[in-house]
Amino acid sequence: MTLMAAVDASVKVAGLQDLTIHRSVSSIPFAGRYRLIDFALSNLVNADINSVGIFASQPFGSLIDHIGVGKSWDLDRRKEGLFFLPTTHQNGGIATVGSFRDFEEHLQFFEKSRQTHVVVTSSFVAGQLDYKEMLAHHLASGKDITEAVGASGSLKSYILSRRLMLELIRSYREKRILSVEDLVNLKKAPYSYGVYEYKGYFAIIDSIQQYFKESLGLLDENNRRLLFLPQAPIYTKVKDEPPTRYLDGSNVSNSMMANGSTILGNVKNSIISRAVTVGINASLDSCIIMQKCTIEENCDLSYVIADKDVYIEKGVKLSGTADRPIVLRKGERVTKEDSQ
Amino acid sequence: MNEKVVAMLLAGGQGSRLKSLTYDIAKPAIPYGGKYRIIDFPLSNCTNSGITTVGVLTQYQPHALHRYIGLGTPWDLDRHKGGVTMLPPYAEIDGIKWYAGTASAIYQNINFLTSCEPDYVVILSGDHIYKMDYEKLVEYHKEKQADVTVSVLEVPWEEASRFGIVNTDEDMNIVEFDEKPEKPKSNLASMGVYVFDWEKLERYLEEDNNIEESTHDFGKDILPKMLVDQQKMVAYPFKGYWKDVGTVDSLWEANMDLLDPSAGLVLHDPAWRIYSSNPQLPPQVITETGRVQGSMVNEGCVISGTVSHSVIFQNVLIDKEAVVEDSVVMSGTKIGRGAHLSRVIVPPDVTVPENYRLLEPAAGITLLTQDLIDTWKESGQQ
Repeated sequence: MTLMAAVDASVKVAGLQDLTIHRSVSSIPFAGRYRLIDFALSNLVNADINSVGIFASQPFGSLIDHIGVGKSWDLDRRKEGLFFLPTTHQNGGIATVGSFRDFEEHLQFFEKSRQTHVVVTSSFVAGQLDYKEMLAHHLASGKDITEAVGASGSLKSYILSRRLMLELIRSYREKRILSVEDLVNLKKAPYSYGVYEYKGYFAIIDSIQQYFKESLGLLDENNRRLLFLPQAPIYTKVKDEPPTRYLDGSNVSNSMMANGSTILGNVKNSIISRAVTVGINASLDSCIIMQKCTIEENCDLSYVIADKDVYIEKGVKLSGTADRPIVLRKGERVTKEDSQ
Repeated sequence: MNEKVVAMLLAGGQGSRLKSLTYDIAKPAIPYGGKYRIIDFPLSNCTNSGITTVGVLTQYQPHALHRYIGLGTPWDLDRHKGGVTMLPPYAEIDGIKWYAGTASAIYQNINFLTSCEPDYVVILSGDHIYKMDYEKLVEYHKEKQADVTVSVLEVPWEEASRFGIVNTDEDMNIVEFDEKPEKPKSNLASMGVYVFDWEKLERYLEEDNNIEESTHDFGKDILPKMLVDQQKMVAYPFKGYWKDVGTVDSLWEANMDLLDPSAGLVLHDPAWRIYSSNPQLPPQVITETGRVQGSMVNEGCVISGTVSHSVIFQNVLIDKEAVVEDSVVMSGTKIGRGAHLSRVIVPPDVTVPENYRLLEPAAGITLLTQDLIDTWKESGQQ
């Protein structure tokens, strides 16, 4: 029994709007140096799944830029490998995972495959789902569709046979079901439904609050140990940044730091992405700073999410709360006047 | 560049003064700067200079280098045309031909060079740390209509007698080579970086091969012979950071230079990236008890102790109450709680026990090998 995978990178998540103006949910930066889809893709390749279709809807420029030909995941293959399968629908992407309309557009991907089973997965969950184990569980259970469920809910990952997948794609209209998630939630007859109990760490990123909470949750050593397993690495696009520099007078504690940054100021309880500059005497507490942001001297930020390329001029003071972090959109420039 | 330039990178050096760091890897493969190997610098210089055909000549302990360079992907040298070619010594009808000197290494790959059809050949050394635009060097060579151009660096006069010194006239024409002179007449040191017109190089390599007493070395044989023959030889004045890392002390110094902005080597330069084979590791974490000052830290590290003025490679764990100062800690090393390290280089994958201290702090830099740690354990000081 062998697996192929359909990664749903077109799903729309209403609660993440500020971070998805220029990108899909799947390419939201997470954990300093990753995009959300890295976790789904890495789980798949770590289970030796070599035939992976990414179903995408606009805007997917950022996603294509990130994935390329799939080299970082070893999916640049002669045989099978990575398939980028965008929807042609203007308003592609629905609110549930595994849209049959999207799959229907690329029916050949499923028809031509030599694999017996299909993984359908979302791209906004970070975890370490072992699909080999899940497949074994699925086969032993004899159910038609198996859903991975963790302590705090569904991981929105499913396994079903390719034969059933083709049957569903051909009949979803008359059955009036939109997606795999929809089908599993409605438990439509005549199919049988099983649950694979997932015991590891996972984070569902479906709102800004969740994004903020789960990001800072990685500062907990236990979570980190469960997400970053040496035997199952999380792969991402390589950027060739040099190591991060901590200058004299800087003060960093309880923070996760990606490469290529230059830290002169104070950082605590925060996640700092690649190539960020934190100026002298600037103070960051409980912030998520994405790549290539600049925070000038004497800034004082707490509970702030700064998307890529945000420039915060000197002396800016911003403070949100854990429930309502301040979100600065990609490329925004914040001056002292703005923040008063 | 319209004409074709091929780079030949000499990467067979042993570097025996680097002790156990080079027992099983060649000098160009030595880790440097928190994530790099020394050979990343000349390779990235090629990429950034638009040189897309590179031969890498290996001999001493080549496996690590061959595996590291692979198809050349990190340097964009995985190409249909050209790209990187690994050139270890090989056997012929007459037997195996080891590379006796720098010139013989190139001579024995003359077939490779011929098949590349170069106009110019750039000879590089795989164990120097510097950022250099070879395109400018070749342009200079063309402008001067030289047969060979030797890249030179101004060194402090008091150190000039340690180098191969190049004496020139006011137009930078080379008039004399002075190997490690007692009384140097100039402070222009050869960097071991040469540009040759291919036809000239081919001719002189063939000639040199037939001279029995030759040591088959560029500096000692080929260049002096060309000078005698009154070939047009010019010096190209390179300005910028350059370091030949030959000893444990100089390797340490070169790492410390990265922490000193006035030293002149900037890695945070998007316009001249140093490419490297990147392991896939999570970001580094500085924990609640961690403190990092004046240092560089790579991915995968977890720092719970105090780090000051140090270069920390990937996947290093530094436990609580440990102190690391003025040191270089290579990848995969674990430093136990309460250990105190100062002015050391820790090789890859060493486990430094809790409360470790150097028994006799040396005047220079200590290479903290497993042997030293075992001696400490036996001394019963823990």
